[in-house]
Amino acid sequence: MGVYREIGPNVFSVGVIDWDRRLFDELIPLPDGTSYNAYVVCGSEKTALIDAADPPFGEALLDNLDALGIDRLDYLVANHAEQDHSGSIPVVLERFPQAEVVCTPRCRELLEEHLKIPGEKFSTVEDRSTLDLGGETLEFFYTPWVHWPETMVTYLREEKILFSCDFFGSHYAASDLFADRRIIYEPAKRYYAEIMMPFRKIIQKNLEIVDSLDLSMIAPSHGPIHSDPTFIVDAYRDWASDEVKNEVVIPFVSMHGSTRLMVDHLVDGLIVRGIGVKRFDIAASDVGKMAEALVDAATLVLATCTVLAGPHPNAAHLAFLANALRPKTRFASVIGSYGWGGKTVKVIQDAIPLLKVELIEPVLAKGLPTEEDYLALDRLADEILKKHQQLGIA
Amino acid sequence: MDRYVCDVCGYVYDHEKGDPVSGVAPSTPFEELPDDWVCPECGAPKDSFSKVG
Repeated sequence: MGVYREIGPNVFSVGVIDWDRRLFDELIPLPDGTSYNAYVVCGSEKTALIDAADPPFGEALLDNLDALGIDRLDYLVANHAEQDHSGSIPVVLERFPQAEVVCTPRCRELLEEHLKIPGEKFSTVEDRSTLDLGGETLEFFYTPWVHWPETMVTYLREEKILFSCDFFGSHYAASDLFADRRIIYEPAKRYYAEIMMPFRKIIQKNLEIVDSLDLSMIAPSHGPIHSDPTFIVDAYRDWASDEVKNEVVIPFVSMHGSTRLMVDHLVDGLIVRGIGVKRFDIAASDVGKMAEALVDAATLVLATCTVLAGPHPNAAHLAFLANALRPKTRFASVIGSYGWGGKTVKVIQDAIPLLKVELIEPVLAKGLPTEEDYLALDRLADEILKKHQQLGIA
Repeated sequence: MDRYVCDVCGYVYDHEKGDPVSGVAPSTPFEELPDDWVCPECGAPKDSFSKVG
């Protein structure tokens, strides 16, 4: 049985909820599941479907279109070529062979390559061009790198709805169509961290495009619809800004307890200096939570024991991930312990070339930390405080 | 003319060609690219580029 919901005159939500999914990209846990949102806009002349669904949900999407009584589809707007939205375009085209796929030229290339959709199915659009459906007008804005090079957003002028695809999305399965801002802030921030953060600079530019539009709601392709667009746009502005917060993220791994003792000492030292701390035992922590913590912290201190002369592989994984996500972190340091030697600091330093951080003197203890090591950690906390004060955030 | 390489993906900015994807005209030196210009291959910001002589 299909379901659909009306979100405005002539505008319907026909997406599917993936309640059970617990992992995305084979990497990121999804504690709250997700959804693949798709929308139908019915003009007096033409009907458009905006985005589709992950391939396993192609039939469910067709059921939803059936429930709405859609027997003709003229356009299938693809804001983004990634398979969780585009993957069921082929089954939709099979059902509605006359439909044209409307997308940017770069999206067309990607859809041809990834989904083998034949070239004649496409109708590519220019930046800021429009498509008249009869009393309902779609306007397309190129918004590259949210989060692939081909991404665009679609604005429905008459209803002032922005169909933003992954931009402003969240992995959050819910029967409620509209976001409760008290709930959605964290899933949206986590989603930003995992998907959008590497493109922070261009997001600042894309936000200017969004600011230029008169909006009644933002309807993304994952998670609930934002009926309060200002709330989510302001949140994005904050996350993507150059401002960092008086916080230190400390992911750590400790095999026999020495590194843990050092972490505990540093955490206390930072707290008494008035600095916020987010501490994660890497092996037992959710990667998405750690990514989220990196969105606006000024400093990252990676704490690791030594394994075969280098950092523990879990710490190396975290460093690799942080490097790929490119948070706006300003300072970094390494603390930890070793049994007989190693080059942990150099390995970690080499793993994070894309983080534009100033390295603060690391603290490494041989075996169980000594009084001298604890004093070195106190000096590290002092140094972090000084750096934060120089930024005017402490 | 100096060459600039993207530290993220290895794309080389060729000032003679500019960057047609982002509307940057041919013969635009790297230094004159706008601050919000990003790598056309991977979306990395301008400060992710290194000069390679």
